[in-house]
Amino acid sequence: MRARTLLTVVRAGLRSNFGLAVLKHRLLKEKKDRWLVPIIAVSALGVVPMYYGVVLALQNVYGVLQPLGQERALLSLGFLAGQFLILLFGIYYVIAAFYFSRDLELLIPLPLRPSEVMASKFAVIVINEYLTAAAVVLPIVLTYGVLAKGGPGYWVNAALVYLALPVIPLAVVSLVVVALMRFVNVSRKKDALILIGSILLLVLAFGLQIVMGRSAGGQGPDTSAAAVTAFFTSPDSLLNRVGAFFPPAIWAARAAAGGFTGKGLANLALLWGVSILLFAAMIAAAEALFYRGLVGLGETTGKRRRLTRDEMARRVSSGRRAKAAVFGREWKIMNRTPIFLLNGTLVVVLVPAIFVIMAMTNSGGGGQGQGDATALLKAMASANPLIVILATALFMTVCGSINGTAASTFSREGAQFWISKAIPVAPREQAAAKFLHSYLVAALGVVAAGLVGAVVLHLGAAQLAAAAGLALVAGVLLTVAGMMIDLARPLLDWANPQKAIKQNLNVLLGMLADIGILTVVYFGVKALIKAKLGTNAVLGIVFAGLAALSAASYAALLKFADKRYPEIE
Amino acid sequence: MIELTGVTKSYNRGKIRAVDGLTLSVKPGEIFGFLGPNGAGKTTTIKMIVGLLRPDAGKILVEGHDVAREPLKAKQVTTYVPDFPAIYERLTGLEYLNFIGDVYGVPKAERLERIGKWLEIFELAPAVTNPIQSYSHGMKQKIVLTAALLPAPRVMVLDEPLVGLDPRAAHQLKEMFREHCEAGKTLFFSTHIMEVAEKLCDRIGIIHRGRLVASGTMEELKALDRTEAGQSLEEIFLEVTEK
Repeated sequence: MRARTLLTVVRAGLRSNFGLAVLKHRLLKEKKDRWLVPIIAVSALGVVPMYYGVVLALQNVYGVLQPLGQERALLSLGFLAGQFLILLFGIYYVIAAFYFSRDLELLIPLPLRPSEVMASKFAVIVINEYLTAAAVVLPIVLTYGVLAKGGPGYWVNAALVYLALPVIPLAVVSLVVVALMRFVNVSRKKDALILIGSILLLVLAFGLQIVMGRSAGGQGPDTSAAAVTAFFTSPDSLLNRVGAFFPPAIWAARAAAGGFTGKGLANLALLWGVSILLFAAMIAAAEALFYRGLVGLGETTGKRRRLTRDEMARRVSSGRRAKAAVFGREWKIMNRTPIFLLNGTLVVVLVPAIFVIMAMTNSGGGGQGQGDATALLKAMASANPLIVILATALFMTVCGSINGTAASTFSREGAQFWISKAIPVAPREQAAAKFLHSYLVAALGVVAAGLVGAVVLHLGAAQLAAAAGLALVAGVLLTVAGMMIDLARPLLDWANPQKAIKQNLNVLLGMLADIGILTVVYFGVKALIKAKLGTNAVLGIVFAGLAALSAASYAALLKFADKRYPEIE
Repeated sequence: MIELTGVTKSYNRGKIRAVDGLTLSVKPGEIFGFLGPNGAGKTTTIKMIVGLLRPDAGKILVEGHDVAREPLKAKQVTTYVPDFPAIYERLTGLEYLNFIGDVYGVPKAERLERIGKWLEIFELAPAVTNPIQSYSHGMKQKIVLTAALLPAPRVMVLDEPLVGLDPRAAHQLKEMFREHCEAGKTLFFSTHIMEVAEKLCDRIGIIHRGRLVASGTMEELKALDRTEAGQSLEEIFLEVTEK
């Protein structure tokens, strides 16, 4: 690799990926999106209390571990969680960046080595992962550092550990992916690859959680007094146990906690050494395998066959209404684009399904807790059915609105938005068709959550029906909120569909709006309960209030579409 | 029929004037060729005609319908082919054609006949059930053209329609242009290919820095003060778009 060329490619990759030039242009030159700055600032401030809570909890954990000499387990747990997150997101990022980003078509013909192209992509992913891991790792590193009164050695080493943190998991993922793409003939079925890979990943993540949960639970009853004593008298035994899943987490913890001592520096050297080795291995693999796995990637297979006259007559539509045609288009494009499918239709089913699986595996493993929870819920249901219905409705609403369908509905059209502007279909009709699509996905989430309520929590039909009624009517409001945000600032200039839904700020803003709306509803309901109204009265008022708001917001959405479509250029 | 009166469009808060007081009209049964250097305002003008962009000032009528005030009526009689065929890659060719047929309300019998005809002409029939993402650039261009022809619109607006087409398809398209206009319909297209414009167009407009610098039949262009008798369209173009 040539350092100067590499630097140029990395810089270009970072610029195009993080879009700083576009952001600067929008904020300073076009003066668009300025209203977003205070909203993001307020949202960021909103995270502060949450972080404060996390730090308080960490202080408690530290307080418990420190007298037992196990406090460093906190660090290893933090680094392990960070690296696990990096691995989880990394698989997807690596496949997407190495094989499916459209700029590869521009980069490959340039006089660059495969390793240079790959290194530039790798750098972008590493920086993305710093941000991902920060949410988990930073509070732990900071809390530990303050409580353990870490000196300069701790802080310097912790920073160096953080810099190296994503390299090992990402290099391992890259090696596996590059080898797979080269030797297994999967490259031509890239949609299936992304979809199956992502689902496997989720299964793996939750499988691991279940296994960890079981192994932890399994130690409880049969641990002898001697074993317990040995565990607690040997310092760092917990650190070793936590880190056993992934040794680099132990090295990271020891490097940071050890500071400038021999042990600290040795572990730091080990972490960096292995990171550099794996990175070098990845670069070597890139030279040999990267471009060969890419060959033919742009091609899609498909047997070509001429339709007979009868087949053609059957398959040519006899004329649907325009709204139905727009709905059909939305449905097909959403479900045929793996990234959209995963973050839309599938996520609303997967989240409740994971609840069911976790509950079932816990009870299968003799989990006492689950039975207790059910008993508690049953007791609550008989004591205060209103709270149970409202809590279930909230769960259903969240499951329905946790996807990015509504808040990316216009963005997903991307460069094809010209078609929607050119066709003779009123914007309000198009918005109505899009609403129907987004709402159906939300309703699917409500139904899936309802199944969780029925299977796991054994809720009665009447309670479920009441909760579903509330969730379905609230779903209208939340769907409209997401769509309004996306209509106000659609992200249409993307080359990678991931940007339209996964990296789309509108999806985040939509979720913030949902939280805001649900908070207002919460205070409304609280006031009703305080007023000592009966269960049916409270439910009736909440339902009617939500229905009125939903109807008004839907009408506003259609009106906004008529205004906004001509403005979007 | 297309009529533009004093149409103006600026970008970057008025700093860049892409189209500057453009006035022109295209009569029914006419093929109008729209020429101009890169960045002269051709695509911006076309996008305003089909309702993708809003003019800052001026008025655009399509078949007598004001594009700003009666957009749906104007769109119902117009189809558009963009310079780059960005279409739904996840749909099959036939699904895309069905979508266009549905939104324009084309009856089934007419759909079958027109789809069959244009798929054969463009040699797309064997690929029509494949996803559009498996098409080459030229095939995508052809499916967009087929979709634009499907509603048999009164007005067709095309931005560089010949780019990416093989010679046979380009020839068929030019034949179609002629048929379209012989039926009394209007066709407005931009091109950089002077020979095509010279041979095919009833009238030609040349836009330069957002202003119409020449407009008329070939004979009228040759008779302009700045041009000399016997000049080709290319020479006239170079003459009127000189700095």
